[in-house]
Amino acid sequence: MADEIPAADTRALGPVRLMETQEELAYELRAAEGAVFTGGRFLVGIGAFTFASLAFAYFYLRTSNNLGLWRPHHATAPTNYGAAVFAIVLADAMLTIIGAVRLRRGMVLDWQVAWWTAVGGNLLAIALQILILTRLGFDSGSSGYASCYIGWAVLNILLMLTTFYWLEVLLARAMRISRAVAEDGGPSQSRLPAARMFRASLDSATYFVVFGALIELLFWLLFYVL
Amino acid sequence: MAIRTTATHDLGTPGELPPEGVARARNRSPWLDFHVGTALVGAVAGFVIGHYIGVLIAGHDINVDNNGQNNVAICLSLGFGYLGWMAGIGGWNYPLAKMIGREPVGELPSSHWSRYFKYTLDHKVVGLQYVIGVLLFLFTGGLLAMGIRTELLNPVHHIIGPDRYIELVSEHGTVMMMMATSIVIGPLGNWLTPLMIGSRRMAFPRIEAFSFWTFIGGYMIILTAMPFGGFPTGWTGYAPLQTQASGGMDSYLCGFAVIGLGMITAGFNIAATVIHYRAPGMTWSRIPILTWSLLSTTSLLMFATPVLVMAGLFGILDRTALTAFYVNEHGGSSFLWEDLFWFFGHPEVYIMALPGFGIVGEMLPVFTRKPLFAYRVGAAGMIGVALLSFFVWQHHLFDSGINPDMRPLFMLTTELISIPTGFIYLVGMGTLWRSKIRFEVPMLFALALYFNFLIGGITGVYLSDVPVDVTVHGSFFVLAHFHYTIMGGLVFAFFGGIYYWWPKMTGKMLNKTLAKLHFWIMFIFFNFTFFPLLIVGLLGQPRRVFEYAHNLQGLNDFSSVSAYILGSSFLIFVWNFVWSTWINPVPAPANPWGSRGLEWQTPTPVPYWNFERIPVILSDPYRYGEPDPPPVADLGVPIGAAAAAQSFAAEVQLGLDEPGGSFRG
Amino acid sequence: MSDGRPGAADEPRGGHAPHLIRIFAIWAVLSAIAGPLFYLLVGPHLPPGHMTSAASGDAWDLNVVTTMAIIVVLGVWTYFGYCLVTWRSSRVVGEPVVGRWGRGNLLVQTSWITITTLAVMGLFVFGTIELIVPAGAGGGEGPNPVWTPHTKNPLVVQVIAQQWLFTYRYPSFGGFETTQLILPDHTAIAFHVTSLDVIHDFWAYQLGVKADANPDYDNVAYTTTQQLGHFVVRCDELCGIWHGAMFDYGSIVPKAKFLSWATASENRLAPVTKLLPPFAWTYTPSANGAGGGFYPACATGQVTNCDPFGNVATYGGAAKQSAHETA
Repeated sequence: MADEIPAADTRALGPVRLMETQEELAYELRAAEGAVFTGGRFLVGIGAFTFASLAFAYFYLRTSNNLGLWRPHHATAPTNYGAAVFAIVLADAMLTIIGAVRLRRGMVLDWQVAWWTAVGGNLLAIALQILILTRLGFDSGSSGYASCYIGWAVLNILLMLTTFYWLEVLLARAMRISRAVAEDGGPSQSRLPAARMFRASLDSATYFVVFGALIELLFWLLFYVL
Repeated sequence: MAIRTTATHDLGTPGELPPEGVARARNRSPWLDFHVGTALVGAVAGFVIGHYIGVLIAGHDINVDNNGQNNVAICLSLGFGYLGWMAGIGGWNYPLAKMIGREPVGELPSSHWSRYFKYTLDHKVVGLQYVIGVLLFLFTGGLLAMGIRTELLNPVHHIIGPDRYIELVSEHGTVMMMMATSIVIGPLGNWLTPLMIGSRRMAFPRIEAFSFWTFIGGYMIILTAMPFGGFPTGWTGYAPLQTQASGGMDSYLCGFAVIGLGMITAGFNIAATVIHYRAPGMTWSRIPILTWSLLSTTSLLMFATPVLVMAGLFGILDRTALTAFYVNEHGGSSFLWEDLFWFFGHPEVYIMALPGFGIVGEMLPVFTRKPLFAYRVGAAGMIGVALLSFFVWQHHLFDSGINPDMRPLFMLTTELISIPTGFIYLVGMGTLWRSKIRFEVPMLFALALYFNFLIGGITGVYLSDVPVDVTVHGSFFVLAHFHYTIMGGLVFAFFGGIYYWWPKMTGKMLNKTLAKLHFWIMFIFFNFTFFPLLIVGLLGQPRRVFEYAHNLQGLNDFSSVSAYILGSSFLIFVWNFVWSTWINPVPAPANPWGSRGLEWQTPTPVPYWNFERIPVILSDPYRYGEPDPPPVADLGVPIGAAAAAQSFAAEVQLGLDEPGGSFRG
Repeated sequence: MSDGRPGAADEPRGGHAPHLIRIFAIWAVLSAIAGPLFYLLVGPHLPPGHMTSAASGDAWDLNVVTTMAIIVVLGVWTYFGYCLVTWRSSRVVGEPVVGRWGRGNLLVQTSWITITTLAVMGLFVFGTIELIVPAGAGGGEGPNPVWTPHTKNPLVVQVIAQQWLFTYRYPSFGGFETTQLILPDHTAIAFHVTSLDVIHDFWAYQLGVKADANPDYDNVAYTTTQQLGHFVVRCDELCGIWHGAMFDYGSIVPKAKFLSWATASENRLAPVTKLLPPFAWTYTPSANGAGGGFYPACATGQVTNCDPFGNVATYGGAAKQSAHETA
C-alpha cells in the first residue's frame, strides 16, 4: 500500500486488534473515514426530516387556521433577540467554513481561533434563545404560531447544542493530537490515522454546520419575517 | 465493558498502555465496572432527580393543582431516568471523553459471561443481547394479548373491565410495535451484517451498543405507563384523547421518543457499515439479499423515525409546556398528529416487513439448493417498497375527512406498493422452480411467511381500495390484516432466522423435534386466531372494543382459544431455547444447513474480530446448483511469524489470552 | 439445460414434464370453480348489505375484490403447493443442476412485472370509479365534499359525537337534537359528522357510511337510502374507556312516517331546542364556559363557511309543510 501506516496508530481506529497487514489497516482506515463522511450526511438527512416535521406543523396549522387562531394579532416572538440568534448562528457558520478552509491550508491557529469563537457564539446563541423563552409576549398555547415557536425554540437549542458539541470535540481532539501529528505536518497534513479521522470528522462537521445555518435561515424567515 | 481512556496511548505511540494497567484490568472482577446493575441504579436515581425537578418547576402550577397530575414531573423523571440508565451502563463515557479530546481504545476482548450485561463493542454480543431484548418485548406483548383475548371471550360480560382492558390494548399495541421495529434489525441485523459483508467490525460499535441500551430503556419507560394509570389511545395515540389522557400517556410519548432514538441509531450504524465496511470484492451485486433488505430498512429507520420523535415531542410540549399543537380550540389541529404519526407510521410497517423478506430470501436458496431467482429484482423491490412507503400514509385517513381528492392519489400509491412487494413473491416462486426442497425448520418458517404474507398483502389491497375501506377501516379486519403481515411475516421470519442462525451464533443446535412442534402449533393456531378476525371485522366489529355483537361470540371465542394455544406454542420455543442452549447443549456442525453464505465460513464461535484476514469476495453466496462453483471468498491464511506483516506492540500487549479463553475463540 | 448433468438418475422425477402447463391447468380449474361460486353465491350476501346506495356499492366492490383475491391466492398457492410436492427432496435425487435460467429469466421477470402492474392499475381505475360514481362511497369527505349525490336537496342529518354517545340534529326541522337516528326511505342523506371532544368515528354499518368525527370539523358523508330496516351505529375510532360501549341503533322508515316523526319531535322538543346552542356545523367548547358550555364556532365570527340554515332547512318542501299543518 502506498500509505505506510505506523503500527500503533491502529488504535485511533478502535480497540485492540489482530495482527494486520498494511493493506488491511489501510482498508479499514478508508472504511472508517468513509463511515464518518457518510455518517455526517446521514445526520443531515435525519436533521432534515426532523425539521421538516416542524415545518410541516407550521404550514399545516397556518393553512388550516383553526378558529382563526393561527396567529391572532400577528403575535411575534421578540424580533431583536431572534435576529441576534440568527446573526450569531450565521456568523458561526461563516467562521466554521473559514476556519475549515484555513485549516486545509495549514493555518492551524487561525482555525482554532475561528472555531473557538464559533463555539462561544453557539453558547451565547443558546443563552439568547433561552432568554427569548422568558419574554415571549404570548402564552405557549395561545395560538398555532405560539406552539410552533415553542417547538422551534426547543429544537433550535438542540441543534445549537449539537453544533457546539461537535465543534468542541474537534477542537479538543486537535489539541490532544497536536504533538503527535506535529512533525507530520499538523492535523491538516498529517497522514497519521488520528489526523485522517480528525479531518473526516471535521469535514462532516462543517457540512452539518452549513445545514444548520440553512435551517436557521428558513425558520428565522418563518417565525420572524413572514 | 466500559470505554477506557488513558492519557496518551490513543495517540498511537507504541508501548503507551502500561502492561500493569492491562493486568490490573484483567485481574479485577468483571463486575467492578459499568453493567446492567449500575444502569438500574442510575435509572432510579435519574427518575427521582427528574421527579424532584419536575415538582419544583410545576408543583404549584394551577393546572397541576386542578387535575392532580404533574406531567412535567412525569416527563422529567422519565427523561432523567433514561439519562441515568445510560450513564449507569457507561453510555456517556465515550461522548464525554471526546469532549476532552480522547478517543477511547475500546475494550479487552472478554469471554466472561458478564459481557452480556455490559455496554460492549462486540457486535455479536450486542446481537445476542438484542435476542433476549426482543424476546422480552415479544413475550410481554404476548401476555397482554392473552388478556385482550380473555376479555373478548364474552360479548357483554367483563372479565377484565373496560378501563383495564383499554390499558392492555394500548400497552400491547405499543410494546409490540416497538418490538417489531427491532426484532430482526436488532438481533440478526447486528449479529450478521459484518459477517455477511466480510467486515471485522461495525462502523460505529458504540452507537450500536447505544441503540440496544436505549431500546431497553424504552421498554422500561413504556412499562411505567401501567403504574401511571395506562393510556387510553391505543398505539396510534390520536390527539385530543392524547391531550386528555392521564399520566400513562407521558410514558407512551417519552417511550416512543426514546425507542425512536434507538431506531435511528441502529439504522445509522448498520447503513454506514454496509456502505463502507464491505470486504474487497463484495460489490453491490454480491451482497446477500438480507443485507439489501436491512439497508432499505435502515433508510426508513433513519428518515421516518425523526418524524415520530418530533410528533412525540410536540405531544410532550402540549402536555407539559401547554402548547397547542394538537388542540383545535387554540389554533392547533388534531389532524396534525394523524399526519405526522402516519407519515412515520406507514414507513414503519415496512420496517416490519422488509427484514422478513430478506431472511426468507437468505433461506430459500439454501433449502432448495438453487440460486436466488431474480436477485436484482428482489433488491430493487425492497428499495422500491422503501421509497414508495413515504408516499402512502394518507390511506390511514381515508374516512377521516381529509381533502377528498387526495383519496384516489393515495389509493394509487398504496396499490403501487404491491408491485415491488410482488417481486418478493417472484423471487420465492422462481427459486422453488425445479429445485430440491428440504423441509428443515427454518424453511418451514420461510414458507409460512409466503403463506401468511399473501393473506396479509391481499387484505391490504382491500384497505387501499377506498369503497371497501369504508366497511373495513378501523375494524377487526384491519387488525387481522396487520397481524398477518407483521406476525405472520416478520415474527415467523424472525423465528426462522433464530432456528437458522442459532447454531452459528452459539454453536448449539436447537432441538429439531421441539422446533417442528413449535412451528406447526404456531402456524396453525396463528391462522386459527387471525383468520376468524378478518371475518369478524367484515361483520362489523370495530377494533379495541370490549363489547361486541352477540352473533360474533362464536368466532371471537374460537379466536381466543386459538390465541391461547398460539401463545403456549412460545412456551415450547422457550423450553427448546433454554434446554438446547444451556441445559443439554448439542454442539452444532460447522455448517448444518450446507449454506454458502460468508457468515458460515467463519469458525464457531466466531472470533472477536470475525475474520483472521479480511476476506476477498470472489462470488455471490447463491451459487448453488452449479457443478463447479467458485469459492465465495478467499479467506486468506493466518499471518505467521514469518509472514509479510509486522506484528505490533499493541498486539503483544492486548492480544493476550483471557483467563477464560482466547479472544480469537 | 440438461447439459452438464451427471446422468439420468439425477433428473428430478418428471424433469421434463410440462410443469407450468399443469400448474396453470390446476389453477384455471380451481379458479373457474371458486371464483364464480364465490361471486354468485356468497357475493350477494356480503356486508354491508344493500340498505343504501353506498352499502350496495361497497358490497359489490368487496365482492369483486374478493373474487379477484381468491383467484390470485389460488394461483400462488397452486404454484407453491405444486412445487413443494413435486420437488421435495425425497423425490429429487441429487442436487438440481441449473443453468443461467436459475438466476433469472428476462421473460418471466418482465411478464411478472407487467401482469402485476396491469392488475394494480386496473384495481386503481376500478376503485376510483367506484369511489366517484356513488358520491364518495359513503366515506367522510371532509367539509368541502367533491363528490355529491345528484339530488339537489339531500336530508341533512348532523351527527354529534361525544364521549360516549352519538346525538343527531335535524336542521331541516328546527335543529332539534335527539338520540334516535331515523331516516326516510329512498332519500339522499348528507351526514355532517362532528365531535365535541376527541376523535370518534360514525360507522353506520349497514348504511355503508363511515366518517371520523373530529372536534371543530365538519365531515360530510353521503348516501341514499333504498331499503327499510334497522341498522347499527358504532364508534369506530378509539375514544377512551367506554369506546366499546359507544353504539346505537337507527332505522330507515317510509318517508311519511319519517316526516310525522320528525315534525312531532320538532314540536315536542321545541322547549329543549331553545336551550341548545343554535345549530351550526361545528361546536367549540367555550373557553370561559364553566362546566363545558358549547357555542357554535361561527358565533365567533372567525369562521366564514358557516351558514347553518342556508340550504339545509329546505328538505321536504311541500310535504314537510303539509306534515307541519297536520301536526
